[in-house]
Amino acid sequence: MECCSKTLLFQSVDQYDSIAISRRVGVTISRPRSIRVLGGPDGVIHMNEAEEISSKQKQASIGEFFEKNKHFLGFDTQQRAIITAVKEAVDNSLDACEEARILPDIRVELRRTKSDELEMMSQDNGPGIPRDSIEGVFGKFLLGSRFHAIRQTRGQQGIGITGVVMYSQLTTGSKTHVISKIKSDSSAVYVDLGIDTKKNRAIKTGEKRDIWIDEKSGEEISHGLKITTVMKAKYQRGKKSVYQYLRMTSIVNPHASISLVVYDKDGEIIEEGNWARTSNKLPRVVEEIKPHPHGIQLGTLQRMLRESADRRMTSFLKHNFSGVSPRAAKEILGMADVEEGRTPKRIKPEEAKAMITAFQTVKLLKPPMDCLSPIEDLLIKKGLSKAIDSRFASTVTRSPTVSQGNPFQIEVGLVFGGDLASEGPIEILRFANRVPLMYQQGGCLLTKALEAVNWKNYGLEQPGGSGIPKGPAAVLVHLASTNVQFTSEAKEAVSYNEEVFDEVRKAMLEVGRGLKNHLKKSSERKKAKEKFELVNIILPEISKKSSELLGREEPDLAPVITQIMNAVFLEEELGWDKETRLSMCSITIHNYTARARAYTILAKWPEGEETSMEFNPRGGRKEARGLWAWRLDTLDPGTSTVLEFGISGLSKGDWNEADIFFRGNGEIIGATKMDEALLDEQRKAEALEAAVEEVRRGGPSSSETIEAPEREGFDPTPNTDWFGMEGGNE
Amino acid sequence: MSEAPRKSRKQVVEALHEVAAEMHNRMQRGDPPRMTLPVRTKANISFDNKLGVFKYGKNKTVRDATKLGSARQLLRTLHITEFIEEMIDSEKSSTLREMYYISEGWGNGKFGSQNESNNLAEDLEIVTKCLREDFKLRPEEDGARIIGNITVEERNRRGEWMRINCRDDVGDSGYGVPYNVEEEKLKLVDEDIDFVMAIETGGMFDRLIENGFDEEARCALIHLKGQPARSTRRIIRRISDEWKKPVVVFADCDPWSFRIYASIAYGAIKTAHISEYLATKEATYLGITADDILAYDLPSDDLTKSDLGALEAELTDPRFNTGWWQEQIKLMQEMGKKAEQQSLAKYGLDFVTDTYLPEKLDTMGLGY
Repeated sequence: MECCSKTLLFQSVDQYDSIAISRRVGVTISRPRSIRVLGGPDGVIHMNEAEEISSKQKQASIGEFFEKNKHFLGFDTQQRAIITAVKEAVDNSLDACEEARILPDIRVELRRTKSDELEMMSQDNGPGIPRDSIEGVFGKFLLGSRFHAIRQTRGQQGIGITGVVMYSQLTTGSKTHVISKIKSDSSAVYVDLGIDTKKNRAIKTGEKRDIWIDEKSGEEISHGLKITTVMKAKYQRGKKSVYQYLRMTSIVNPHASISLVVYDKDGEIIEEGNWARTSNKLPRVVEEIKPHPHGIQLGTLQRMLRESADRRMTSFLKHNFSGVSPRAAKEILGMADVEEGRTPKRIKPEEAKAMITAFQTVKLLKPPMDCLSPIEDLLIKKGLSKAIDSRFASTVTRSPTVSQGNPFQIEVGLVFGGDLASEGPIEILRFANRVPLMYQQGGCLLTKALEAVNWKNYGLEQPGGSGIPKGPAAVLVHLASTNVQFTSEAKEAVSYNEEVFDEVRKAMLEVGRGLKNHLKKSSERKKAKEKFELVNIILPEISKKSSELLGREEPDLAPVITQIMNAVFLEEELGWDKETRLSMCSITIHNYTARARAYTILAKWPEGEETSMEFNPRGGRKEARGLWAWRLDTLDPGTSTVLEFGISGLSKGDWNEADIFFRGNGEIIGATKMDEALLDEQRKAEALEAAVEEVRRGGPSSSETIEAPEREGFDPTPNTDWFGMEGGNE
Repeated sequence: MSEAPRKSRKQVVEALHEVAAEMHNRMQRGDPPRMTLPVRTKANISFDNKLGVFKYGKNKTVRDATKLGSARQLLRTLHITEFIEEMIDSEKSSTLREMYYISEGWGNGKFGSQNESNNLAEDLEIVTKCLREDFKLRPEEDGARIIGNITVEERNRRGEWMRINCRDDVGDSGYGVPYNVEEEKLKLVDEDIDFVMAIETGGMFDRLIENGFDEEARCALIHLKGQPARSTRRIIRRISDEWKKPVVVFADCDPWSFRIYASIAYGAIKTAHISEYLATKEATYLGITADDILAYDLPSDDLTKSDLGALEAELTDPRFNTGWWQEQIKLMQEMGKKAEQQSLAKYGLDFVTDTYLPEKLDTMGLGY
């Protein structure tokens, strides 16, 4: 592990000018923030490593570097500089809170001080930074703990808070004021920071310790961080604004509470945003993983070999890579014609080359996926609903998959109706590792994959049959990956990758199907509602009025109603039982035909680890994951029956759209005929998945022989929509 | 066939009850209630040789309670029936607009729009073969104005018969035609005219009056006010029938004016059920014709998209299926132009009365 970290560490240091490039190839560097996590032993070790690096790179002044590269560091225009600065501060706060398992409360205040100067204040309730780490966090570019670690973090995408300190100093000469309080200290550290650009380190002044009282609440703050600085910047409203950045951030971070106030020079509020927390569930802790051979290039491999302390090639492969079983290691070496007992340091370039080829040929296990932290579809729904008022949301979290050895995962959410404007193109909200992408929408893979879908099939207008669809909708797309590949160093658009494109497109199709089902259902529901009104209200009135006029007896309407309806109707209602805290679903089936009917009714429900079918007086049985079936007694003409069940583990409003299917003869208006072929397919996939899981748990010996099942256009996650879909894949 | 067949109160109520009975009977048999009525589009009007006007054809449409919209229509129809019965009982009448507002209190039988209530009242007329007047329903649109040496007797609101000469007893705005022009309300008493001229626009009507055209040409001038109301068409028909006077129509040269003429001469699509009482088959179109635009070199406007659409529709309208009309319509399509009556003013205010009308009337054998 340590060897590995060193190797990769040097890779990034070798090319000083290409900080961002090295990040792009998948190695996370300079996550200064992670140091301040707790300052524990782990952090200290990495600090030492980091110092080692910085000493090796005295060639260029960091200030010069900044000046030269400010376009891709996000400080090229005054409008953009403030967005970047807020972004760095907020991303840091979110990452810190996540690692410390704190629900974040983040406050951002911007104040115009001169016509082209803004004061930025950002405050969080995170763990704070220990006094001795403050200089490191704010003062150095290349510093961090994550060189060796491959996992999903927000901070892969920015230069870090150091850039903000640097920019402020370069443009206004202002120092950055920091207040940091960690829980274990009795007082907070107050310090002003600047940067010695020649020595690439922070200059601390005016340090003091004091009790930190919150301006707003008047209470003492037990942990948190506050940054205040002044920079040349202009506040801009609209699509590319701090407001939009925070709004988007809040969508993918429903566990965070974020607020923004922007003041004009005279103290007048010119923009304000408040995004409350909608979930108390913190993103799960992600595991760090070792690189997977599929994503390794020759140069990297050679460095790793050179730096390796392993004695044998077999242990080198086993210790430094994920997905390589002892058997696979032997196979690789065999194929590359490298003896197993060789010392890694002595491997020749041709041999390394042969190994690279073998990497691509030998069957390898996939890298572990727990290095990814998807938002998960329920939380996407919550996030979207707090920022956008809509009628309907369809979300999907695809199973994680791998591209060139890098695990990635796609999530898509689509909202429709409500307050959304029906004219013009839909809003696209792009995210990479929970960080909003606000620029270069057109050049981004996430946009292109959306444009490649034929949205007309799913109920959205799409002039010309391609491109961004129109209508009252918004689409969120999130790429979670250990290695987000961008089109440029500016990190504004995701670059083309076939596997990622394909996954995004599939996810779009899934939410599209959700929308289509919703629209079909709404129209069926409307039709059914009209029919009910007809037979229950209008028809009796016609009967009454005509009888009155003619002075006759009122006729028996039952046979008339049967004739008019001539169908079986199903209505479902979702609700919330306050007392039992159950999400209730009530399904009413009316037989308005002249014949007796018998059906099996199936309902999709959000089955998961935390949810269970708590109330179910009718019994029935599980047909597949997330699908329950009830066999109904024969329903005589003109009668109706009610089927009810309740689910625990959800909160109010979580479940707002149910899918109901049926088995039996004759259509049911309001339900979809069960597609048995698809159900079979799902059952098979579930069985296979269960078998694989069992074997995985069975021990190391067997893990070598079993390959993870190849997914061929089929996704066995419970989130996917497999039942009764029409139109299917394009 | 001039005399409109009036029904007694009892007959009207019975006819209305038949509509309700059709619904009730069907429900008793277990079928959805319905009412049957003729299709009211141009596809279902045809020339009735015996009557000489256009009437609804054989195509029937069934309005039944299998759809919410139609069911509501049926319920509204029943409400109207009840309302008419009440009016007949209490000897009141109401305007269509009043009925629309009264329907506010009918709950689920309330009208969605005034247009809907007008159409339903017409439906009832058609199905029951009664007239709107039998239902005590009045339109609010006012009828035409007449100036000319004719004398009528009108029964006023106090029930007294008033004798009115439409030249000497009226101001410049002329005699206002009441909404009911049937015998019980209006009598045509005396005349000293050679023909009747129906005029589309108020501007031209006033021009002819100012120029003393009614006396000079010995005619009665009738201002149509755009698409003529039923009572306007009915009074023209009565003058034509009872006094045997020729009727000429003087309108703009555009597709909509052609339809005004058609509704006078052949009957309107919406009121084809009573064409035989409203249409004056002897009425002729004086102008302005498409030929006139060329012959008199009149200032003209380009036809709009909707004008062109209307012309296209007229080509397939059975009422315009004569050689002369087809020619005029096609000529207009070719020119792509239309002209207003007032365009004659290009040659001075008196041109219309000194030159245009005498020339046109001469070709019709009405020269003076």
